[in-house]
Amino acid sequence: MSNVIEINELTKYYGSLFWKKKTPALDRLTLLVPGGTVFGFLGPNGAGKTTTIKLLMDLIRPSSGQARILGEPPDSLDVKRQIGFLPDAPAFSSYLSAREFLVICAKLLRIPSATRRKRIDEVLDIVKMTNHAGSRLGGFSRGMLQRIGIAQAILNEPKLLILDEPLVGLDPHGRQELKDIIISQKKIGTDVFFSSHILSDVEKMCDSIGILNNGKLLCAGRIDQLLSATGVRLHVNPGCDNIAQDFLPMATGSIKLSDGGWELVFTTTLDLTSKLDKLRAERPGDISVSSSRENLEDFFFRKIESDRFVE
Amino acid sequence: MNEVMAIAGGTWSRILRMRAIYFLILCVLILIGSAYRYDVLSLGLHRILMIDVSLLLNTIAAILVAVSITFEIPKELREGVASTLLSKPLGRTHYLVGKLVGISVAGLVITGLIMIGFCLVFGSFFDRVGITMVQGHLLVMGSVIPMCAIGVFFSVFIPESLSAIVTAICIWFAHSVIALSNVPVVYAGILPDLNLFNLKAEAAYELGGIEWSYILVAILWGVAYSVFATSLASLIFSYKDLK
Repeated sequence: MSNVIEINELTKYYGSLFWKKKTPALDRLTLLVPGGTVFGFLGPNGAGKTTTIKLLMDLIRPSSGQARILGEPPDSLDVKRQIGFLPDAPAFSSYLSAREFLVICAKLLRIPSATRRKRIDEVLDIVKMTNHAGSRLGGFSRGMLQRIGIAQAILNEPKLLILDEPLVGLDPHGRQELKDIIISQKKIGTDVFFSSHILSDVEKMCDSIGILNNGKLLCAGRIDQLLSATGVRLHVNPGCDNIAQDFLPMATGSIKLSDGGWELVFTTTLDLTSKLDKLRAERPGDISVSSSRENLEDFFFRKIESDRFVE
Repeated sequence: MNEVMAIAGGTWSRILRMRAIYFLILCVLILIGSAYRYDVLSLGLHRILMIDVSLLLNTIAAILVAVSITFEIPKELREGVASTLLSKPLGRTHYLVGKLVGISVAGLVITGLIMIGFCLVFGSFFDRVGITMVQGHLLVMGSVIPMCAIGVFFSVFIPESLSAIVTAICIWFAHSVIALSNVPVVYAGILPDLNLFNLKAEAAYELGGIEWSYILVAILWGVAYSVFATSLASLIFSYKDLK
């Protein structure tokens, strides 16, 4: 399947015409997002996630590099007709009612007047805001605004949905509903690109991820490939505490079992592999080694930490 | 065109929903009507005073409407409302033109209501409403378009508190073009000549009807100036990073 987003050497320096910040918010980012996926864009605060999304939405101009969405540049109006976007802090005209705002969006999206009302009713129902359709947006809570933001993003039945921190501001129930909406969008063939801090949700929903730190891409790829065989699990039989003590400093996790044995978890490195091979040869009856799959949270922090170490 | 009208519709519906607007219109009409009571103080010139006051207050109402856009656009940019709208298939120029059309329509409705109110008030005190008075008010209505264009121009690159002041000063200069005509650096043809829309003397002293072609040319000039100012604003806006 072709890429829905292609980013090539994209760089962004904030500042005015005469004065630019020395550190780029985004530093030669190159990223390909394949079609048919839910892509999670991860990174700590200030990593450059929102900057990337704004560049993709043509809300800010790149200092250098280029991006293409659905094969076209971000400023193409044809592309904007095919995508839905939820900003990180959705803000709408406070004097309008939810329905009036969606009518304006529908007009901008050129949804025919004959089907406009029906479609607006549908999306209000999807985000469970039908009862608030006539209420002014100015009186809405953050969570309610987030729901209206989702409603306007899926109004045009987009091919690609770009969501900036969609799970922020929602209660657990609302978060679950939004996750269901994202999954249902994927089922009807919509590609989803979203940024989030909530790693457990990302792990459950995404097929692919990209991790950004200090404006640079640390890694990107299919989540199952990135997390598979990234770790090693060492089981040490009871009575072999000296082995456990030797390996404990290298372990990313350890448990002393009730039978007196040890369970140690490591991130795979060449040094560790050779040590374990040697141990297996010398004391085969005292240990067992298996591969372990890191969870996304550990993987994420390991990547961020290793990037900090490189700096 | 649909996109422009969608933005314009949102803008004029916001302004025309404001109760303060109708309070303003009511106050203006009361002030116009109260000029009738100044017959002694004005040595019998209250008829002239009423016409003069009506045109002046209608112009002030038009300026207030034009200045209001200098709050709306920067606020939408600051709060991210503009970003949400511009993530839809809406060009930045369309957004600005939509805002200009919306605020201009609101301005035309408000100044139009003041003109109609004046005609009713004046007609109830005096025998007839002269054609020059109507023409004077029509030109005030026409001046709404270039004044709103000035507001849109400044609001794309100056923060909201400052853009209102700058717009008001600019409009004041533009109304004083005759006085400033010897200062080429200030005027230099960049400011709109809003004096073209001033028929106070002709209307107050009922000097006879002005050619309709003059009214038409003045309004067309205002539209042409608005196109110029909005194009310039659009050029600046196209390079602006949005929140």
